[in-house]
Amino acid sequence: MKKLLTVLFILLPACALLAQENYFYLNLDVNTPLANTDWVSKTSGRGGKAGYRFMIGESRFSAGVDFAWAYFEEYAPTETFQNGNGAITTDYFKKLNQYSFAASGQYNWELGGQGLFFPYAGIGLGALHNQYIMAYNIYEDSDKGWGFLARPEAGILARFGKRRSMGAMAAVHFDYATNKSDDYNYSSYSAVGFQIGIFLMNR
Amino acid sequence: MNIMKRYLFFLAVIPTLWSCEPEPDNLRLLDQLVVSTNYDPDAAFGTYKYYTIPKDTIGYVSNTSRDTIWTFTTAQPYPRSVINAVRHQMDSLGFEYVDRDQDPDVGMNIYIIENLNLFQQVYYPNYYSNYYGYGGYYYYPVVQTYAQNTATLVVEMIDLKNRNANNQVKIVWNAYMGDVVNSVNYEQQSIDAIRTAVRQSPYLH
Repeated sequence: MKKLLTVLFILLPACALLAQENYFYLNLDVNTPLANTDWVSKTSGRGGKAGYRFMIGESRFSAGVDFAWAYFEEYAPTETFQNGNGAITTDYFKKLNQYSFAASGQYNWELGGQGLFFPYAGIGLGALHNQYIMAYNIYEDSDKGWGFLARPEAGILARFGKRRSMGAMAAVHFDYATNKSDDYNYSSYSAVGFQIGIFLMNR
Repeated sequence: MNIMKRYLFFLAVIPTLWSCEPEPDNLRLLDQLVVSTNYDPDAAFGTYKYYTIPKDTIGYVSNTSRDTIWTFTTAQPYPRSVINAVRHQMDSLGFEYVDRDQDPDVGMNIYIIENLNLFQQVYYPNYYSNYYGYGGYYYYPVVQTYAQNTATLVVEMIDLKNRNANNQVKIVWNAYMGDVVNSVNYEQQSIDAIRTAVRQSPYLH
Protein backbone atom coordinates (compact mmCIF):
# COMPACT_ATOMS: atom_id res chain seq x y z
CA MET A 1 0.00 0.00 0.00
CA LYS A 2 2.74 2.45 0.98
CA LYS A 3 4.69 1.61 -2.18
CA LEU A 4 1.63 2.22 -4.33
CA LEU A 5 0.99 5.59 -2.72
CA THR A 6 4.64 6.57 -3.01
CA VAL A 7 4.66 5.73 -6.72
CA LEU A 8 1.43 7.66 -7.25
CA PHE A 9 2.65 10.77 -5.50
CA ILE A 10 5.97 10.74 -7.35
CA LEU A 11 4.59 9.96 -10.81
CA LEU A 12 1.55 12.18 -10.84
CA PRO A 13 3.27 15.53 -10.26
CA ALA A 14 5.81 14.51 -12.92
CA CYS A 15 2.98 13.84 -15.38
CA ALA A 16 1.39 17.12 -14.40
CA LEU A 17 4.43 19.00 -15.58
CA LEU A 18 3.62 17.77 -19.06
CA ALA A 19 -0.07 18.48 -18.73
CA GLN A 20 -1.76 21.45 -20.30
CA GLU A 21 -4.60 21.84 -17.86
CA ASN A 22 -4.94 20.71 -14.31
CA TYR A 23 -7.13 21.51 -11.35
CA PHE A 24 -7.42 21.07 -7.60
CA TYR A 25 -10.77 20.55 -6.00
CA LEU A 26 -12.25 20.51 -2.53
CA ASN A 27 -15.73 19.09 -2.05
CA LEU A 28 -18.23 18.34 0.65
CA ASP A 29 -19.20 14.68 0.29
CA VAL A 30 -22.57 13.29 1.38
CA ASN A 31 -22.73 9.50 1.55
CA THR A 32 -25.39 6.88 2.08
CA PRO A 33 -24.21 3.36 3.00
CA LEU A 34 -25.72 0.57 0.92
CA ALA A 35 -24.09 -2.47 2.53
CA ASN A 36 -23.94 -3.61 6.17
CA THR A 37 -26.67 -1.16 6.99
CA ASP A 38 -27.26 -2.80 10.35
CA TRP A 39 -24.05 -1.06 11.43
CA VAL A 40 -24.71 2.37 9.91
CA SER A 41 -27.47 3.14 7.44
CA LYS A 42 -28.21 6.85 7.63
CA THR A 43 -26.96 9.40 5.14
CA SER A 44 -24.03 11.35 6.48
CA GLY A 45 -22.96 14.81 5.41
CA ARG A 46 -19.79 14.52 7.42
CA GLY A 47 -17.49 13.77 4.56
CA GLY A 48 -15.16 15.49 2.19
CA LYS A 49 -13.12 14.90 -0.88
CA ALA A 50 -10.08 16.68 -2.24
CA GLY A 51 -7.97 15.92 -5.24
CA TYR A 52 -5.80 16.90 -8.12
CA ARG A 53 -6.43 16.06 -11.78
CA PHE A 54 -4.64 16.89 -15.01
CA MET A 55 -5.51 16.55 -18.68
CA ILE A 56 -3.42 14.07 -20.62
CA GLY A 57 -1.96 15.87 -23.62
CA GLU A 58 -4.57 17.09 -26.08
CA SER A 59 -6.89 14.21 -25.38
CA ARG A 60 -10.17 14.25 -23.49
CA PHE A 61 -8.75 12.03 -20.80
CA SER A 62 -7.59 13.20 -17.42
CA ALA A 63 -5.95 11.47 -14.48
CA GLY A 64 -5.33 12.33 -10.88
CA VAL A 65 -5.47 11.44 -7.24
CA ASP A 66 -8.36 11.69 -4.81
CA PHE A 67 -8.33 11.79 -1.04
CA ALA A 68 -11.69 11.32 0.65
CA TRP A 69 -12.96 10.97 4.16
CA ALA A 70 -16.34 10.24 5.70
CA TYR A 71 -17.79 9.78 9.14
CA PHE A 72 -20.97 7.92 10.02
CA GLU A 73 -22.55 7.66 13.43
CA GLU A 74 -25.71 6.02 14.70
CA TYR A 75 -27.18 5.70 18.16
CA ALA A 76 -28.34 2.28 19.26
CA PRO A 77 -30.78 2.14 22.18
CA THR A 78 -30.14 -0.06 25.20
CA GLU A 79 -29.57 -3.66 24.27
CA THR A 80 -28.42 -6.81 26.08
CA PHE A 81 -25.68 -8.90 24.48
CA GLN A 82 -25.08 -12.47 25.61
CA ASN A 83 -21.41 -13.44 25.70
CA GLY A 84 -20.39 -16.89 26.91
CA ASN A 85 -21.18 -17.12 30.60
CA GLY A 86 -22.56 -13.65 30.91
CA ALA A 87 -24.23 -10.66 29.37
CA ILE A 88 -23.70 -6.96 28.91
CA THR A 89 -26.38 -4.28 28.75
CA THR A 90 -25.75 -0.81 27.39
CA ASP A 91 -26.78 1.79 24.88
CA TYR A 92 -24.08 2.78 22.44
CA PHE A 93 -22.98 4.65 19.37
CA LYS A 94 -21.90 2.77 16.26
CA LYS A 95 -19.36 4.80 14.37
CA LEU A 96 -17.61 4.35 11.07
CA ASN A 97 -14.66 6.60 10.42
CA GLN A 98 -13.06 6.24 7.01
CA TYR A 99 -10.58 7.75 4.63
CA SER A 100 -9.40 6.68 1.21
CA PHE A 101 -6.81 7.30 -1.46
CA ALA A 102 -7.48 6.62 -5.12
CA ALA A 103 -5.80 7.09 -8.46
CA SER A 104 -8.47 8.13 -10.89
CA GLY A 105 -9.03 8.54 -14.62
CA GLN A 106 -11.78 10.49 -16.36
CA TYR A 107 -13.21 11.07 -19.80
CA ASN A 108 -14.18 14.75 -20.20
CA TRP A 109 -16.18 16.62 -22.77
CA GLU A 110 -17.50 20.11 -23.20
CA LEU A 111 -21.15 21.04 -22.96
CA GLY A 112 -22.60 24.04 -24.77
CA GLY A 113 -19.44 25.02 -26.60
CA GLN A 114 -18.82 28.11 -24.43
CA GLY A 115 -15.97 26.68 -22.42
CA LEU A 116 -17.97 26.78 -19.21
CA PHE A 117 -19.38 23.33 -18.55
CA PHE A 118 -17.34 20.12 -18.61
CA PRO A 119 -19.11 16.90 -17.70
CA TYR A 120 -16.95 13.89 -16.98
CA ALA A 121 -17.22 10.20 -16.15
CA GLY A 122 -14.47 8.10 -14.68
CA ILE A 123 -13.31 5.63 -12.13
CA GLY A 124 -10.98 5.72 -9.17
CA LEU A 125 -9.07 2.73 -7.86
CA GLY A 126 -7.24 2.72 -4.56
CA ALA A 127 -7.50 1.84 -0.90
CA LEU A 128 -10.03 2.59 1.78
CA HIS A 129 -9.37 2.55 5.52
CA ASN A 130 -12.31 1.84 7.80
CA GLN A 131 -12.33 2.25 11.56
CA TYR A 132 -15.34 0.68 13.28
CA ILE A 133 -15.97 2.11 16.72
CA MET A 134 -18.46 1.07 19.35
CA ALA A 135 -18.71 3.81 22.01
CA TYR A 136 -20.59 3.02 25.20
CA ASN A 137 -20.58 5.09 28.38
CA ILE A 138 -16.95 6.23 28.69
CA TYR A 139 -15.60 3.13 26.97
CA GLU A 140 -14.75 2.35 23.36
CA ASP A 141 -14.05 -0.78 21.38
CA SER A 142 -12.76 -0.54 17.85
CA ASP A 143 -11.43 -2.44 14.90
CA LYS A 144 -9.86 -1.13 11.71
CA GLY A 145 -8.46 -2.25 8.41
CA TRP A 146 -7.71 -1.49 4.79
CA GLY A 147 -9.56 -2.67 1.72
CA PHE A 148 -9.40 -2.31 -2.04
CA LEU A 149 -11.58 0.53 -3.33
CA ALA A 150 -13.31 0.97 -6.69
CA ARG A 151 -15.18 4.22 -7.22
CA PRO A 152 -17.02 5.00 -10.49
CA GLU A 153 -17.88 8.67 -10.64
CA ALA A 154 -19.74 11.08 -12.91
CA GLY A 155 -19.81 14.82 -12.48
CA ILE A 156 -19.56 18.23 -13.97
CA LEU A 157 -17.17 21.16 -13.71
CA ALA A 158 -18.77 24.57 -14.15
CA ARG A 159 -16.39 27.49 -14.47
CA PHE A 160 -17.59 30.81 -13.07
CA GLY A 161 -16.64 32.52 -16.32
CA LYS A 162 -14.83 31.82 -19.52
CA ARG A 163 -11.74 33.62 -18.25
CA ARG A 164 -12.12 32.47 -14.67
CA SER A 165 -9.96 29.68 -13.35
CA MET A 166 -12.32 28.91 -10.50
CA GLY A 167 -15.56 27.05 -10.70
CA ALA A 168 -18.08 24.81 -9.02
CA MET A 169 -17.94 21.05 -9.12
CA ALA A 170 -20.63 18.46 -8.49
CA ALA A 171 -20.49 14.70 -8.84
CA VAL A 172 -22.13 11.45 -7.87
CA HIS A 173 -20.10 8.38 -7.07
CA PHE A 174 -20.54 4.80 -6.05
CA ASP A 175 -17.98 3.32 -3.69
CA TYR A 176 -17.28 -0.35 -3.35
CA ALA A 177 -14.55 -1.57 -1.01
CA THR A 178 -13.49 -4.97 0.26
CA ASN A 179 -13.10 -3.86 3.88
CA LYS A 180 -14.33 -6.28 6.50
CA SER A 181 -14.31 -6.71 10.23
CA ASP A 182 -14.94 -10.05 11.88
CA ASP A 183 -15.39 -8.33 15.26
CA TYR A 184 -18.36 -6.34 14.00
CA ASN A 185 -19.62 -8.79 11.41
CA TYR A 186 -18.89 -6.29 8.66
CA SER A 187 -18.30 -7.91 5.28
CA SER A 188 -17.83 -5.17 2.67
CA TYR A 189 -18.44 -1.48 2.19
CA SER A 190 -20.51 0.15 -0.47
CA ALA A 191 -22.11 3.56 -0.59
CA VAL A 192 -23.49 6.09 -2.96
CA GLY A 193 -22.32 9.65 -2.55
CA PHE A 194 -22.98 13.14 -3.79
CA GLN A 195 -20.24 15.74 -3.67
CA ILE A 196 -20.29 19.45 -4.26
CA GLY A 197 -17.57 22.03 -3.96
CA ILE A 198 -15.15 24.19 -5.84
CA PHE A 199 -12.14 23.74 -8.09
CA LEU A 200 -9.18 25.86 -9.11
CA MET A 201 -7.89 25.31 -12.62
CA ASN A 202 -4.44 26.05 -14.00
CA ARG A 203 -4.28 26.53 -17.75
CA MET B 1 -9.92 38.11 -7.91
CA ASN B 2 -7.33 36.76 -5.48
CA ILE B 3 -9.45 37.91 -2.55
CA MET B 4 -12.45 36.24 -4.14
CA LYS B 5 -10.53 32.96 -4.49
CA ARG B 6 -9.39 33.02 -0.88
CA TYR B 7 -12.89 33.80 0.26
CA LEU B 8 -14.41 30.94 -1.70
CA PHE B 9 -11.77 28.48 -0.58
CA PHE B 10 -12.32 29.55 3.00
CA LEU B 11 -16.04 28.90 2.56
CA ALA B 12 -15.23 25.46 1.17
CA VAL B 13 -12.87 24.61 4.03
CA ILE B 14 -15.50 25.24 6.73
CA PRO B 15 -17.85 22.39 5.71
CA THR B 16 -14.95 20.04 5.14
CA LEU B 17 -13.57 20.71 8.62
CA TRP B 18 -17.06 20.22 9.99
CA SER B 19 -17.04 16.80 8.38
CA CYS B 20 -14.24 15.53 10.64
CA GLU B 21 -15.10 13.03 13.37
CA PRO B 22 -17.04 14.60 16.24
CA GLU B 23 -17.47 13.24 19.76
CA PRO B 24 -20.65 11.29 20.32
CA ASP B 25 -23.36 12.82 22.46
CA ASN B 26 -21.71 12.05 25.81
CA LEU B 27 -24.63 12.86 28.06
CA ARG B 28 -26.74 10.42 26.12
CA LEU B 29 -24.23 7.66 26.87
CA LEU B 30 -23.67 8.65 30.50
CA ASP B 31 -27.27 8.51 31.68
CA GLN B 32 -27.05 4.80 32.39
CA LEU B 33 -24.25 2.52 33.54
CA VAL B 34 -22.88 -0.29 31.42
CA VAL B 35 -23.86 -3.53 33.14
CA SER B 36 -21.73 -6.62 32.64
CA THR B 37 -22.54 -9.88 34.42
CA ASN B 38 -20.79 -13.25 34.54
CA TYR B 39 -21.68 -16.53 36.20
CA ASP B 40 -20.10 -19.84 37.06
CA PRO B 41 -21.77 -22.44 34.79
CA ASP B 42 -21.08 -25.13 37.41
CA ALA B 43 -23.00 -23.31 40.11
CA ALA B 44 -26.39 -24.77 41.12
CA PHE B 45 -28.24 -21.51 41.68
CA GLY B 46 -31.46 -23.35 42.42
CA THR B 47 -29.96 -24.82 45.60
CA TYR B 48 -29.29 -21.40 47.19
CA LYS B 49 -31.96 -20.07 49.47
CA TYR B 50 -30.47 -17.87 52.20
CA TYR B 51 -28.22 -14.89 51.66
CA THR B 52 -26.41 -12.43 53.84
CA ILE B 53 -25.14 -8.93 53.10
CA PRO B 54 -23.46 -6.15 55.14
CA LYS B 55 -25.89 -3.53 56.41
CA ASP B 56 -24.13 -0.21 55.96
CA THR B 57 -20.69 -0.80 54.52
CA ILE B 58 -19.36 -1.57 51.08
CA GLY B 59 -15.79 -2.24 50.02
CA TYR B 60 -13.63 0.43 48.46
CA VAL B 61 -10.55 -0.20 46.34
CA SER B 62 -8.69 2.85 45.12
CA ASN B 63 -5.28 3.78 43.85
CA THR B 64 -5.56 7.17 45.55
CA SER B 65 -6.82 6.27 49.02
CA ARG B 66 -5.89 3.84 51.77
CA ASP B 67 -9.54 3.40 52.77
CA THR B 68 -10.81 -0.11 52.14
CA ILE B 69 -14.41 0.42 53.17
CA TRP B 70 -17.09 3.03 52.53
CA THR B 71 -19.58 3.34 55.36
CA PHE B 72 -23.01 4.92 55.26
CA THR B 73 -23.40 8.41 56.67
CA THR B 74 -26.25 10.83 56.22
CA ALA B 75 -23.96 12.89 54.01
CA GLN B 76 -22.92 9.79 52.03
CA PRO B 77 -25.99 7.56 51.72
CA TYR B 78 -24.61 5.74 48.68
CA PRO B 79 -23.47 2.53 50.48
CA ARG B 80 -26.86 1.95 52.04
CA SER B 81 -28.68 2.78 48.80
CA VAL B 82 -26.82 0.14 46.80
CA ILE B 83 -27.06 -2.43 49.63
CA ASN B 84 -30.81 -1.88 49.80
CA ALA B 85 -31.04 -2.20 46.03
CA VAL B 86 -29.24 -5.55 46.11
CA ARG B 87 -31.40 -6.73 49.02
CA HIS B 88 -34.54 -5.72 47.14
CA GLN B 89 -33.47 -7.69 44.08
CA MET B 90 -32.47 -10.75 46.12
CA ASP B 91 -35.80 -10.71 47.96
CA SER B 92 -37.69 -10.40 44.69
CA LEU B 93 -35.80 -13.44 43.38
CA GLY B 94 -37.09 -15.48 46.33
CA PHE B 95 -33.94 -15.47 48.46
CA GLU B 96 -34.27 -14.92 52.21
CA TYR B 97 -31.99 -12.68 54.21
CA VAL B 98 -30.22 -14.14 57.25
CA ASP B 99 -27.45 -12.82 59.47
CA ARG B 100 -23.98 -14.03 58.67
CA ASP B 101 -23.91 -16.32 61.72
CA GLN B 102 -27.12 -18.07 60.58
CA ASP B 103 -25.41 -20.24 57.99
CA PRO B 104 -26.30 -18.41 54.73
CA ASP B 105 -25.93 -20.20 51.40
CA VAL B 106 -24.50 -17.16 49.62
CA GLY B 107 -22.92 -13.90 50.66
CA MET B 108 -23.39 -10.72 48.67
CA ASN B 109 -20.27 -8.63 48.40
CA ILE B 110 -20.39 -5.05 47.13
CA TYR B 111 -17.45 -2.78 46.45
CA ILE B 112 -16.29 0.15 44.38
CA ILE B 113 -13.09 0.10 42.35
CA GLU B 114 -11.87 3.63 41.80
CA ASN B 115 -9.01 4.28 39.45
CA LEU B 116 -7.37 7.62 38.91
CA ASN B 117 -5.21 7.78 35.81
CA LEU B 118 -2.84 10.64 35.29
CA PHE B 119 -1.42 11.48 31.90
CA GLN B 120 1.45 13.89 31.53
CA GLN B 121 2.54 15.59 28.38
CA VAL B 122 5.67 17.66 27.95
CA TYR B 123 5.66 20.72 25.71
CA TYR B 124 8.73 22.62 24.57
CA PRO B 125 7.59 26.18 23.83
CA ASN B 126 9.75 28.28 21.57
CA TYR B 127 12.40 25.63 21.36
CA TYR B 128 15.35 26.55 19.17
CA SER B 129 17.82 24.12 17.77
CA ASN B 130 20.71 26.29 18.92
CA TYR B 131 21.42 25.27 22.48
CA TYR B 132 22.06 28.14 24.92
CA GLY B 133 25.72 28.99 25.26
CA TYR B 134 25.94 28.70 21.50
CA GLY B 135 24.03 31.87 20.72
CA GLY B 136 20.55 30.39 20.84
CA TYR B 137 17.79 30.21 23.43
CA TYR B 138 16.35 27.41 25.44
CA TYR B 139 13.05 27.56 27.26
CA TYR B 140 12.27 25.01 29.92
CA PRO B 141 9.48 22.60 28.97
CA VAL B 142 5.96 22.89 30.29
CA VAL B 143 4.38 19.79 31.77
CA GLN B 144 0.62 19.48 31.47
CA THR B 145 -1.20 16.91 33.54
CA TYR B 146 -4.52 15.37 32.58
CA ALA B 147 -6.56 13.31 35.01
CA GLN B 148 -9.20 10.71 34.33
CA ASN B 149 -11.07 9.27 37.25
CA THR B 150 -13.23 6.21 36.78
CA ALA B 151 -15.08 3.93 39.15
CA THR B 152 -16.82 0.59 38.80
CA LEU B 153 -19.49 -0.76 41.12
CA VAL B 154 -19.05 -4.49 41.68
CA VAL B 155 -21.59 -6.89 43.15
CA GLU B 156 -20.54 -10.49 43.79
CA MET B 157 -22.42 -13.58 44.90
CA ILE B 158 -20.17 -15.88 46.92
CA ASP B 159 -21.02 -19.53 47.45
CA LEU B 160 -20.66 -20.09 51.19
CA LYS B 161 -22.41 -23.44 51.07
CA ASN B 162 -19.90 -25.40 49.01
CA ARG B 163 -16.50 -24.59 50.45
CA ASN B 164 -13.57 -26.65 49.29
CA ALA B 165 -11.28 -28.77 51.47
CA ASN B 166 -9.23 -25.68 52.37
CA ASN B 167 -12.37 -23.82 53.46
CA GLN B 168 -12.13 -21.55 50.41
CA VAL B 169 -15.20 -20.01 48.81
CA LYS B 170 -16.02 -19.36 45.17
CA ILE B 171 -17.61 -16.40 43.39
CA VAL B 172 -20.52 -17.81 41.40
CA TRP B 173 -21.91 -14.56 39.98
CA ASN B 174 -20.69 -11.02 39.59
CA ALA B 175 -21.85 -7.77 38.09
CA TYR B 176 -19.60 -4.92 36.97
CA MET B 177 -21.32 -1.58 36.51
CA GLY B 178 -19.62 1.58 35.29
CA ASP B 179 -18.70 4.24 34.99
CA VAL B 180 -19.92 5.60 38.33
CA VAL B 181 -17.78 8.75 38.42
CA ASN B 182 -18.85 10.17 35.08
CA SER B 183 -22.52 9.28 35.41
CA VAL B 184 -25.22 11.92 35.46
CA ASN B 185 -26.82 10.67 38.72
CA TYR B 186 -24.54 8.00 40.14
CA GLU B 187 -26.76 6.88 43.00
CA GLN B 188 -29.95 6.37 41.00
CA GLN B 189 -28.04 4.93 38.04
CA SER B 190 -26.33 2.44 40.37
CA ILE B 191 -29.70 1.31 41.70
CA ASP B 192 -31.04 0.98 38.14
CA ALA B 193 -27.90 -0.93 37.11
CA ILE B 194 -28.31 -3.45 39.94
CA ARG B 195 -31.86 -4.12 38.74
CA THR B 196 -30.58 -4.54 35.17
CA ALA B 197 -27.84 -6.92 36.37
CA VAL B 198 -30.41 -9.23 37.92
CA ARG B 199 -32.78 -8.99 34.97
CA GLN B 200 -30.06 -10.05 32.53
CA SER B 201 -29.23 -13.06 34.75
CA PRO B 202 -32.35 -15.24 34.54
CA TYR B 203 -30.49 -18.28 35.93
CA LEU B 204 -30.56 -16.60 39.37
CA HIS B 205 -34.33 -17.08 39.59
